[in-house]
Amino acid sequence: MNKTIIININGIVFHIEEDAYEILRSYMTDVKRHFANEEDSIEITTDIENRIAEMFTEILARENRPVVVTTDVTTVIGLMGTIEDFETEAEQQSATYTEKQFSDTRKLFRDPDDHLLGGVCAGIANYFDIDTVWVRLAFALTTFLGGSGVIAYIILWIIVPKAVTRADKMAMKGERLDLKGFVKNFEEEVKNVHHTLNNASHHARPFVYKVRDFISDFFDHFKYFLTGAGKVFLKLVGILILMLCLTFIVMDIIGLTFFTAQGRDVFHVFPFSVINNGYSDIIAFSAFAVIAIPALAIMLSTLKVIFNSRVMGRSTGYTMLILWIVALTFLGYYSSKVVADFKEEASFSQTVNIKATANNTYYLKLNDVKYLSKEDSIQLDINDKFKGRIILNDDDEDDNRYETRPQSVNIYIERSDVSQPVLVESFSARGYSKKQALANATNSSYYFAQKDSVLNFDRTLKIPFNALWRNQEVKLTLRIPKNAILVIDRKLERYVNDLSLWECARANKNENATTATFVMTNTGLECKVDTLVQPVPNNVPVIDTIINQQ
Amino acid sequence: MIIENTQTQMRKGILEYCILSIISKGETYASDIIADLKKSQMLVVEGTLYPLLTRLKNNGLLTYNWVESTSGPPRKYYVLSPEGRVVLEQLDKTWQELSSAVQTALENRK
Repeated sequence: MNKTIIININGIVFHIEEDAYEILRSYMTDVKRHFANEEDSIEITTDIENRIAEMFTEILARENRPVVVTTDVTTVIGLMGTIEDFETEAEQQSATYTEKQFSDTRKLFRDPDDHLLGGVCAGIANYFDIDTVWVRLAFALTTFLGGSGVIAYIILWIIVPKAVTRADKMAMKGERLDLKGFVKNFEEEVKNVHHTLNNASHHARPFVYKVRDFISDFFDHFKYFLTGAGKVFLKLVGILILMLCLTFIVMDIIGLTFFTAQGRDVFHVFPFSVINNGYSDIIAFSAFAVIAIPALAIMLSTLKVIFNSRVMGRSTGYTMLILWIVALTFLGYYSSKVVADFKEEASFSQTVNIKATANNTYYLKLNDVKYLSKEDSIQLDINDKFKGRIILNDDDEDDNRYETRPQSVNIYIERSDVSQPVLVESFSARGYSKKQALANATNSSYYFAQKDSVLNFDRTLKIPFNALWRNQEVKLTLRIPKNAILVIDRKLERYVNDLSLWECARANKNENATTATFVMTNTGLECKVDTLVQPVPNNVPVIDTIINQQ
Repeated sequence: MIIENTQTQMRKGILEYCILSIISKGETYASDIIADLKKSQMLVVEGTLYPLLTRLKNNGLLTYNWVESTSGPPRKYYVLSPEGRVVLEQLDKTWQELSSAVQTALENRK
């Protein structure tokens, strides 16, 4: 069995066997190169090509065959004559000086027998009779020096012919070198150069052939690359894919055990506290399957395509597909059930009275006190080890477990018509029904404390440990009378709505100020600029303390 | 080396003369020329003929016409140009002279 190629010789189409084509192509390359220095190289080679096409047509018609085979090509080449025949019969008729110039000494060719890419380096090494390694090293180094080596290589690849024939290779390795090469006199050299310059216009045309050679060469080498190095590369990519998928699946399994067996504690932390307790296992399993099955399928297909091992039958594939769809359905169903728990919203409000202060000034602070759970306190042995000591918290809020939830506290400040300042706490939550939503809202609580003129606001709304997250929120509205002065801690920036503490600090030309001072006017709160900032009273705790939450 | 060179030189001149005289008979196709030349052992392979024909054409001795072919691409049929005819007549004369000169030289050797 032989592969057949369709070729087109000047408009005539032939089916030709691959081996035969290779011989013909190599022959035509030789012929074109041989006549490249002739005045009408294109016309001559076209004549020869046409005659070859005619000979093929005659042979095929005579023997009633559709495909050109190797023997046909060799017959035609025999009739047409090889380059060696041309050289012995006709070379002297049109002896070109350029040919002569190099025939005495080495000739620069690309070496097809010792090549990594186009054989340029080996050719240069042959020309200068040095080891190929050094030339390659030089090219590699120039490549690092701005990439000039790459460009030089490509240019050389185009303009330097490939040594195809035996004669070429001999000329390349300088085997025809003899005494004549050394005694060549200066005059002759000059004449040669002159001739070469005159022939420059004739060289321009063969350049078309050189480009064509280069392109066919390039694809030749590319083919080798694909079949050889390319296969290795493909396998490496395959192994990479396999390893990635495997890691993915292993991580998936770890995740599954984490969410099911190891501990359900994770379902008390925000993104997971959304999921109803009864659904957690089934959602974990179906999420696992939804992720793991495609990863497994990619692994098996990679094995099949790249390593040619049939590890997956058709039925396995279908089973996996069905399992995946089932898992996806479960995931979708239970996710929609969870989503349905957010359908209704309910809220309720309660009002806390704030003791009016004598100077009508209030310090709004973020409650930096953090809570340790009972378990944490026992574990740390708070009562003994930390007796009489103060535990400092850093200001980083990220380590607070409640902060994984979206912000649940919003503070608004309004003008009160009565002199009594109040804080209105409005709790809201969601649920599958109004009743459920209200229950979720009442389950949550908020810590607010007044200590003299200091109003402490907690960071978050507290919801019971086992409660699901149903977007529990609290909206705090502080109503204060006109002319009241508010000194607001900059840490409250993100909790206070409709106010920019930063801009107020900037207006006072002190962007690093820890507080911003506002005055309640008829039109609402206004930043107090250029007045003396009230000194912070001594009784405000500067250091954060820990309260043992029992 | 010297003998090969001489042979090539002798053949080179005669070859062109032969080609011109073959074409002088009328419109001629390259393979017809080859057939004639092979018969007389002047040329063995076809490939060498094409550069020669191109060169003669470029020197104005030949012209060609494209003729459609049933078996393959259109063919180039060569004919002598008027200039080519003049050259051929001169070559005829030269050949006669050379031939008799060589003949005399050979006879004298015996």
